[in-house]
Amino acid sequence: MEQLLTANVATNLYWLGRYIERIEATLKQIMVAYDQIIDVDKNAGIALYENFSTELEYTNAKDFLHKAIFGDHSANIAVLAGYARENAIICRNHINTQAFGEIIALHALFQKSSNSFVDIDYKLIDEADSLISEMWGEISKTQYKRISDYFLRLGQLIEKADFNFRFDEEKETGIIIIDEINKILANLEEDKGVKVEQTQTQEMDYEVIINNIHKKIQDLIVN
Amino acid sequence: MLETENELHKKFWEIFSKQDRQKIDEFKNHMDKFAINFNLYKDGNFIERSLPFDVIPRIISKEEFSKIEKGLQQRIQALNLFLEDLYTDAKIVKEGIVPQEFVEQASGYLKEFKGFSPSKKIRTHINGIDLVKDTVNDSWVILEDNLRVPSGSSYPLSIRDTYRKIYPDFFEQLKIEPIKQYPSYIKSAMNHVSCGGINVVLTPGRFNSAYYEHSYLAQEMDAQLVRAHELEVIDKKVYFKNYNGKRIRVGSIYRRLDDDFIDPKFFNPESLIGVPGLVEAYLAGNVALMNAIGNGVADDKGIYYFVPKMIKYYLGEEPILHNAPTYLPYFKEDMEYVFKNIEKLVIKDVAEAGGYGVLFGHEMSALQLEDLKTAIKANPRRFIAQELIEFYDEKCYLDKELKDRKADFRAYVVMGEDIKVWQCGLTRYALEAGNYLVNSSQGGGFKDTWVMEL
Repeated sequence: MEQLLTANVATNLYWLGRYIERIEATLKQIMVAYDQIIDVDKNAGIALYENFSTELEYTNAKDFLHKAIFGDHSANIAVLAGYARENAIICRNHINTQAFGEIIALHALFQKSSNSFVDIDYKLIDEADSLISEMWGEISKTQYKRISDYFLRLGQLIEKADFNFRFDEEKETGIIIIDEINKILANLEEDKGVKVEQTQTQEMDYEVIINNIHKKIQDLIVN
Repeated sequence: MLETENELHKKFWEIFSKQDRQKIDEFKNHMDKFAINFNLYKDGNFIERSLPFDVIPRIISKEEFSKIEKGLQQRIQALNLFLEDLYTDAKIVKEGIVPQEFVEQASGYLKEFKGFSPSKKIRTHINGIDLVKDTVNDSWVILEDNLRVPSGSSYPLSIRDTYRKIYPDFFEQLKIEPIKQYPSYIKSAMNHVSCGGINVVLTPGRFNSAYYEHSYLAQEMDAQLVRAHELEVIDKKVYFKNYNGKRIRVGSIYRRLDDDFIDPKFFNPESLIGVPGLVEAYLAGNVALMNAIGNGVADDKGIYYFVPKMIKYYLGEEPILHNAPTYLPYFKEDMEYVFKNIEKLVIKDVAEAGGYGVLFGHEMSALQLEDLKTAIKANPRRFIAQELIEFYDEKCYLDKELKDRKADFRAYVVMGEDIKVWQCGLTRYALEAGNYLVNSSQGGGFKDTWVMEL
């Protein structure tokens, strides 16, 4: 039997997937840059944030961590965790209770650290990373078979694709991700009773691909 | 004053004393992570906070609870019959048991619904009945009936869930009634009265004070959580708007908003949280609403006075559970009594709820009492007076020490094919010593309630 979802829940699941994946992927990049700033390349953080179209200024590795996580810019991790929490609250009855708890804990972790006088360090990122892994682990228990999982997974994959293109990672990986997105879209289209064209990955600008997919998802959700 | 410690309490303390004290912090962390917040507006700002809670449960023996259960079943049956009668034949009014004027002046009475019978003639589907245990008679007394949109059931559900995870020993070694079945009671009641279609929980939205509860219950009941614009009324039938554009028929709605806001076409036209056309669909018998529209009359503090009379009238029985001794200044002899004894009574404004509009005579100055008398004389229907019930304290672990705090108990009663009393409930305690107001809106906390046997 088909799973019922309001458009609001579907949208929030999709964005929950995006924000959590964005936090996870950004934290990984932050850790790489942090390690380099210590004694290899003082400007590694600046280069990283250019990818996010953000000019980040910092004095040392610890200051970089603080600015990356709590700074006044659109890739602020603490703010993203707040958005994810809002998404989770709205679609709480469609996500695993344990996963919901991990998201609440993730937000609380950043909130607590932002109010703390103690310098933040790698432990915060390790802890956040571990909460996110646990969250995905809980969600994957349903094996992505429900409509609600599709939206969450779509959000996660589109963010993965975005990072893949943004950081110029292997093209093959990007194609695999887009293929998976296409498969999920096909399932959702079947549920809706419409047929939408597959997104082609050849000779296309990554922004065009991401925007095409995003538009298809928006079209699938009828408000 | 605490209840005399019995064998059940001793068994609890025996196990509790062996627990690692650090588990109390673990308990708190778990509640913060998984439990339910309470939203409120303070000075125009939206604030989310977790309700204060306590790890020491209230313990009620199964035998004692069985009497409460029977009394509540009796009371809800009578109240449902009263509402059905009032909105159809109104025999109880015609026969002078409840004065007509009293009914008509009740703010929750909706004469527009006269002549309408809801699905299966059930109106009181989900009820929260507030009780306290009187220290004088050592018996439970009913303080208030909440038959509109009683809230709070998710608090005991979440604290019990935490308890079982952090302190499994209690549940392994003691005979404590399980409580997980409460959402299934509501689900069964919804299915029983359903007019054909899916079940939904209608919430005002994310910023409602009890949004977490709406979401939690919807999940546990396997119902869709919806806001008004996610429902649509077409040809007097209600439909759920699925994400893919499909429309799914709705048979039963557990609505978490008051009558006034439920349908802007029928009630308050300014309401943005209601479903236009919902009342038409309801009156056409195409959708069940839980609870029924117009129930507010039965939980009016003035009508409360008549509930024991309703039990005798409809069921021919003596009430198993008693009201607090109540006086209606509306009646001349009661007015005289109230004026003579006002300094020892509790005066309640019938239009208020949540602990607001409650005045304790013994806390008021002579001048304030005179002003109150003038207000009562000017509008006697607006007030009721009750003897001050000295109710028992509960032991609470607050600020790392055991303290005694006044505590009430909200029992939940669900009416579907039969009347089920949940073997748990919401025990609320006052944060300050000696305070009689335990409502969350007054800063009160909550604790688990264990119905237990040896």
